[in-house]
Amino acid sequence: MTSKVTINRLSTGVPGLDDLLGGGLPEFSFNLIAGQPGCGKTTLAHQIMFALATEERPALYFTVLGEPPLKMLRYQQQFSFFDPAAINRSVRFINLCEEAMAGDLEHVLARIAQEVAAHEPSLVFVDSFRSVVLATDAGGQAHNQLQRFMQQLGMLMTSWQATTFLIGEYFTDTDANPVFTVADGLIWMRQSVQRNAMVRKMEIMKMRGQPSLPGLHSFRISGNGLQIFVPALETPTLPGAPTGSRASMGVPGLDEMMDGGLPRGYSLLLAGPSGSGKSILAAAFLNAGLLNGETAVIAAFERRPRRVRDQTLAKAIEDGRLGVVESHAPDLSIDEVTQLLSAEIRRLDARRVVIDSLSGFELALGPSFKDDFRESLLRLVTSLTAMGVTVLMTSELEDRYTDLRFSPYGTAFMTDAIIVQRYIEVDSRLRRVLAVVKVRDSAHSDQLREYSIDDDGIRIGAMLAAHEGLLGGRPTTRPPGGPAREG
Amino acid sequence: MNSQESSRFTAALTQRVAEDANSRQIADAIGAMWADIDVALQPVLGRRGVAALFKRTLHLTATRHPWLAALKAGGADSAVDLVELTELFAQQSPAAVAEAGCALFTLFRDLLTTLIGDRLSERLLQAAWSTSSRAAPAQDPTP
Repeated sequence: MTSKVTINRLSTGVPGLDDLLGGGLPEFSFNLIAGQPGCGKTTLAHQIMFALATEERPALYFTVLGEPPLKMLRYQQQFSFFDPAAINRSVRFINLCEEAMAGDLEHVLARIAQEVAAHEPSLVFVDSFRSVVLATDAGGQAHNQLQRFMQQLGMLMTSWQATTFLIGEYFTDTDANPVFTVADGLIWMRQSVQRNAMVRKMEIMKMRGQPSLPGLHSFRISGNGLQIFVPALETPTLPGAPTGSRASMGVPGLDEMMDGGLPRGYSLLLAGPSGSGKSILAAAFLNAGLLNGETAVIAAFERRPRRVRDQTLAKAIEDGRLGVVESHAPDLSIDEVTQLLSAEIRRLDARRVVIDSLSGFELALGPSFKDDFRESLLRLVTSLTAMGVTVLMTSELEDRYTDLRFSPYGTAFMTDAIIVQRYIEVDSRLRRVLAVVKVRDSAHSDQLREYSIDDDGIRIGAMLAAHEGLLGGRPTTRPPGGPAREG
Repeated sequence: MNSQESSRFTAALTQRVAEDANSRQIADAIGAMWADIDVALQPVLGRRGVAALFKRTLHLTATRHPWLAALKAGGADSAVDLVELTELFAQQSPAAVAEAGCALFTLFRDLLTTLIGDRLSERLLQAAWSTSSRAAPAQDPTP
């Protein structure tokens, strides 16, 4: 007999947490939820409890010192997951205040054992565990006593086959705390303030036996409880997403320049200075899809998408063929935007996505996420294109004539295609040119073409063959028939 | 005061005592009802938590039934002495006992509802009500 034990994984009911834990909560595990006061520990515990507890799999929630149970019940019932009908049926609250006040851990343990034997719960919560520790009056023996208590509690809970959570306020994660050693799982919750924005983050510091996602992951608490924004790395391709074909850009002449349009599933960076018509080109791209019977999603961070001037787009938003993702939360993260976008793409079975613009997007992010903008953006682009959608992102480009840069983020390498727009001065007029800089695996045009914008959108004209040095911003006229300037 | 709640307590009380019960019997019934509530709430709210709520209720009830003020004293941590409570009730006229008892329970329920809402209060007190109905004395129905 060599068969190994199978550890069941429970679905926690907290959006994102199962992925973060590496596939759910291991049954009979002994876990610690730690963090500073106010970071959402009790809310997380309640959310998990109400999601998992059934009459066959009841939960015991021990309240110790700290927050009075009356207050806890008053506030927790504001969340949608709180079900009063479950109380005293599948969920039972037990107050250990008297035992804890006596300051004897043995007493606390005995009472927990007694209640566990009486109710045979599958889930046990002790809130807050920290107060149990603080209440001990062990005269220097606190550390030893606590270690013994932990060991015994861990043993007791495992033998009663109860999945257990200890909830505690801890301010530093570096303490050599016996609790941390005994626990199978360690969920650390933090809130960090940077400039004007507060961001909540969760970290699975330990989860025995399974590959939890490393790192800090932002979460938000709303009326529905916690929602954790987990980076989407493996996104299954949408069923029916066309591959191999090309998506029309919706601008006459541009498809030809791109060797037949933008390959499906590609990401395109459209870079240009302010007023060069990036949003107009993006709108044309969306319109081309809509005309083709496709649905699309736009994430607009610059202009208010509800005030889209383009009548066709406005109509499509109204009809539900064009989804809009917009968020003005001060703690917005790229992972959250990724999640919002994926949800909207799935809902509409969308084929095209426009992010207008990356510059506005960066401004909309919470301050603490800006440092990781490039890395997170790469994840966003990867996960979107992995879904099979075709992505167009616009990027504000400072018009510099001394170097040729396509985006301020070094994002050019991560996209499959690049179109750049520039201003040039010809005959004392500001004129616009565009070029297809890159379309991966395509024989795209290398021409620098003038274009104009009128009521019908972008109209691509001819090359300015009579000029040279266009990218320098101040082209010179080449004498007709004369040789091209050297260098 | 919530009249629906009030009539429910009156009903629960009349279930426990005969119609011509004396003050002592009514007082004992009130004491027993309170003990049931205490048993139902203590595990959840803690002994001190329930005691604090009950003391506040006594304080509120005493504004209309000043003779209850004698019970108000006591440390913050001490639970209400049920023996003392029933003694005090037993000294009043049966009508006064019934009325004050009813006010006491209704105010208690109102206070709990203000704090944790109607549904949860009902849920937590359910155990107490089921005990009350189990404890209904066997007696002939009044014609």
